[in-house]
Amino acid sequence: MNAVFFGILTILSLFIFMNLSKIKASKKQMDRDDRINWSGKRRPNVRQNRDGSKIIEGSAEEVDDDAQK
Amino acid sequence: MSKHSALNTFGRSGNPAFTRNFENAETFSQTERMTLDGAVNKTAILLALCFAGAFAGWNVPALAMPGLIIGTILAFVTIFRSPAKAGSTAPFYAAFEGMALGGITVFAEMQYPGIGIQAIGLTFGILASLLFCYKSGIIKPTENFRLMIFSATMGIALLYLVSFIMSFFGSGIGFIHSNGFFGIGFSIFVVGIAALNLVLDFDFIEEGADKGLPKYMEWYGAFSLMVTLVWLYIEILRLLMKLRSR
Repeated sequence: MNAVFFGILTILSLFIFMNLSKIKASKKQMDRDDRINWSGKRRPNVRQNRDGSKIIEGSAEEVDDDAQK
Repeated sequence: MSKHSALNTFGRSGNPAFTRNFENAETFSQTERMTLDGAVNKTAILLALCFAGAFAGWNVPALAMPGLIIGTILAFVTIFRSPAKAGSTAPFYAAFEGMALGGITVFAEMQYPGIGIQAIGLTFGILASLLFCYKSGIIKPTENFRLMIFSATMGIALLYLVSFIMSFFGSGIGFIHSNGFFGIGFSIFVVGIAALNLVLDFDFIEEGADKGLPKYMEWYGAFSLMVTLVWLYIEILRLLMKLRSR
């Protein structure tokens, strides 16, 4: 009985694995910002402000008040 | 540019095999690219070879030790020397590891009859359920998730290594092998970490197929899945032995 139950579990699981793994993962899984970055490339640090304008980190420049006047 | 030179050289992942292949993904033609179907078919081939090896190991248990040693060497060669040649090393790895697993299972069966099929059933049961959880988005692997699993895996490997070295001096870390509360708790923890490594393998294969990595990465993805499955099977077998010995 023990062997039959676990034998069926094995065959059923292998069948599920072979069929399910050929299907693409759901959008909920794929379309995420916090996915693992396997390439090792850093994503650009671009964030959106409340009014829709973008804040780009790392490109700040020193502002000289006298020069602007 | 990062102030850490290693990050500038290799990128955020320290593994050059991953970084190089993901960066050059656009240069390969459609027929030379990794697909989900290809990776699954190659996993099926490795599983079949592992079962064939296990059959040999089951009938000739003396093959277990050579199978384990050669399989381990092949695994290190595939990971550190030539991921691009995984197509030629991974099938041999699967066959030799199969021999080792067959031999180990015979010894376990002698002590606790019926334990082998339980361990196989639970291993593939976990594989199928975690695949469903991953595909449906119930489990979402993130950078922090990867860091956590990687740290835990390295911690377990270090603990096993220390225990192995201590065994030469007639000592050891007792609770790892005991069938007491801590021993069983430790085994459950290790099974959990091994199972969650499967999620990382699924994500690597999915991302690789999505980005169109070179074809040989199908073998590498299948190989990494096999390594995790072999580890998971051994840990489940150890856990069941501890439970049955009480």
